[in-house]
Amino acid sequence: MSKQSYDGTARYFDYFATGDMRRWSPSQRALFKNLKGKVLYIGIGTGQEIVNFPEGLNITAADLSFEMLKRSNQRVENYPGKINRCQMDAEVTGFADNTFDTIVTVCVLCTVKQPVNCLQELKRVLKPDGQLVMFEHVLSKNPVYGLPLKMMSYITEYLQGTYLDRNTIANVERAGFKIHSHKNVYLDIVKALIARPA
Amino acid sequence: MNLKIADFFVGAFSGALVATVVSYISPPFMPMLLGGLIGMLLVIPMKIALMPLFGAFEVMIPLAIIGMTVGMGAGMLSFASVSSNIVIASGALTGLLVATIIYFSNKRYTTQ
Repeated sequence: MSKQSYDGTARYFDYFATGDMRRWSPSQRALFKNLKGKVLYIGIGTGQEIVNFPEGLNITAADLSFEMLKRSNQRVENYPGKINRCQMDAEVTGFADNTFDTIVTVCVLCTVKQPVNCLQELKRVLKPDGQLVMFEHVLSKNPVYGLPLKMMSYITEYLQGTYLDRNTIANVERAGFKIHSHKNVYLDIVKALIARPA
Repeated sequence: MNLKIADFFVGAFSGALVATVVSYISPPFMPMLLGGLIGMLLVIPMKIALMPLFGAFEVMIPLAIIGMTVGMGAGMLSFASVSSNIVIASGALTGLLVATIIYFSNKRYTTQ
């Protein structure tokens, strides 16, 4: 999906994600307790997850879409900490090597075109002792749940640019990370993951 | 309303709705196949309408299963000239059953 398409998606992004935020907020709050040091928040979108972040963090937030960033204004202003935003492609960021202590992604690795390339880029900008904190959805290993996801993936790719059939855990390992913590949030589809450079 | 309780209502409601439509159309041939197909197509707009209220995956997974199974069952029952009230009730019960199975399946996955 192009930058222009994400700009278009921004108009109804909050509406479609309302139910997810109601469901996932407690799990996100538990996961985000692990955020520390200099944090890179990839794919801030309209900033819906900001309310689940612990207070007082120093966050650099990036998103491909200017329209999304614009719609995150209010949430960024309300956050009791520091958030600097920049418009950037997650697959080719402009940050120096080993810059961040923690990188956080929420439903990003299901959206970027080349997830392994994106993860390799994140590994480059993450400090060797840093951690990658992910709240992502993946393809279920159970065929009863996996088949509907594969079928719906065509529609969500068109509507939101999201792929429902990604094997994110394998992609994370392929990019040179080791999964440190793995928790299912809904079935084996929505996951809270923490990975560290291998 | 508690979203976990809402899942059961969504299951029963969508099952009843699919059964109502399939029963109304009453596929004249290959009722199981056509019923399943109608059910699968019918749940697509339902998913898009319900996702913002109840969560994407919590709606998508049960409705995909309900659309196919209830559609097939309702197609066969209506072909056999079973009363539409019974077809709709069986659709609602199947939807409720699917929601219950997914509830326990989710419990197993999330406590692993």
